[in-house]
Amino acid sequence: MQGSVRFDNVEKVYGDRVLLSIDTFTVNPGQCILISGDNGSGKTTLLKIMSGLLKPEKATVTKNDVSLPWVKAKSMLQSEMVYLHQTPYMFDTSVFNNVAYGLRATKVPKAQVEEKVWQCLRWARLDHLTPRNAKLLSGGERQRVALTRARIVNPSFLILDEPTANMDRGSRHQTYELIQRLQSEGMSIVISSHDVEFFANIIDFHYFLEAGNLRKIDIGTKQRKHKSSAVVTPFQRKGR
Amino acid sequence: MQDIYQATKEALILLLGGDPGIWEIVGISFSVSLQAILYITPLSLLLAFLLAFGNFRGRRILISTFHTFLAIPAVVVGLTVYIFLSRNGPLGDLGLLFSQTAMVIGQMILAFPIVVAMSHSALQSSDRAIWETAKTLGASSPKAMFTVMYEARFGLFAAVIAAFSRIIAEVGCSMMVGGNILHHTRNIPTAIALETSKGEFAQGIALGLVLLFLALALNLLLSSARYRLEMA
Repeated sequence: MQGSVRFDNVEKVYGDRVLLSIDTFTVNPGQCILISGDNGSGKTTLLKIMSGLLKPEKATVTKNDVSLPWVKAKSMLQSEMVYLHQTPYMFDTSVFNNVAYGLRATKVPKAQVEEKVWQCLRWARLDHLTPRNAKLLSGGERQRVALTRARIVNPSFLILDEPTANMDRGSRHQTYELIQRLQSEGMSIVISSHDVEFFANIIDFHYFLEAGNLRKIDIGTKQRKHKSSAVVTPFQRKGR
Repeated sequence: MQDIYQATKEALILLLGGDPGIWEIVGISFSVSLQAILYITPLSLLLAFLLAFGNFRGRRILISTFHTFLAIPAVVVGLTVYIFLSRNGPLGDLGLLFSQTAMVIGQMILAFPIVVAMSHSALQSSDRAIWETAKTLGASSPKAMFTVMYEARFGLFAAVIAAFSRIIAEVGCSMMVGGNILHHTRNIPTAIALETSKGEFAQGIALGLVLLFLALALNLLLSSARYRLEMA
């Protein structure tokens, strides 16, 4: 069920260090949010908390104006958000089985799994990779398979941790295009990246994570016209 | 030298000629050790997973305990099981002493810490992203656990094989709680010990060869599985 998710008073401590101390942060349906910050500033930790994969020391999670205790919030976040690692983990099986994982895990009937997986692979133009072992894919291919694997379970929010880090130009372009297509379908996306310029065309909000807290950055005229059907790549925008 | 040659020749004749006495002993060994490994593997893997991925009080002490029990001598396990199963022991009424069941119990106690400790190491070194990916894609905790185990399957397989190799070759515990009774509790290591003490080397060598071939076969199986994965 789509709806805003608000995080208040998020605190995460490692040893003596308070890594995160965020006053408030809201993710709204249909929006694309970029979180940037220095290395070690806590971006991955924040994204994992948002996805229900990491327990914070303190946090109040509110969904549809109902405040949830962490146990319930965790379950809600895990069902609504799909988190993609910077280097997505590929299960040691074919690309087809990787994409089918989420459907099989939620006991979708076999015939539907087959149909949906093929549909998604064709949508992502990855059908030629279907029989290959996913562990042997290149970094760019892995990221696109991971995006397809996430899309198939139809999450409310997609949480992408440095989705284009350490990629060559071609792979960055293809991954960007896929993220843009997901967004044009109405998927809510939260991206963490150092590469603010690269995502400037698709983001609605930009936050900078600094000293454990989020600071909103004015993105001014660069704000994306995200209902546009045209797929504009950062390469075209920059005239490369 | 001539004696060793002669004994080895006789051993091969015994083995290849299908000597029923030899193969009965081999059968008892496999039956007892396979039962022991089958009974403890599910619980060992579950415990190893909890130790690797869980976060509960006493976790570190449990890990250290299992690693300590890796070095427990088989005769100490044998002595403990013997005390419990002997007529005056707490479980004496069950009448299990000098039975295959007693041998299975002893071997389960020996194999359990090996599978737990080695599986824990394999799971501990597996990528945390497996669990997180499974959970974020909607898997239940048991499903995510099986996914992690599948991804770490070669390490887990190696743990089970190491434990099986240890228990099928141990002599102390089987001798004490099994009693080395012919046609009943005489297995490969106890038979080797007995035949050697009698100066009957041929049967000892034959049974030793079975153990060596078994070790070779298990290791080849593991290597070929790893090779297939790397070549996939």
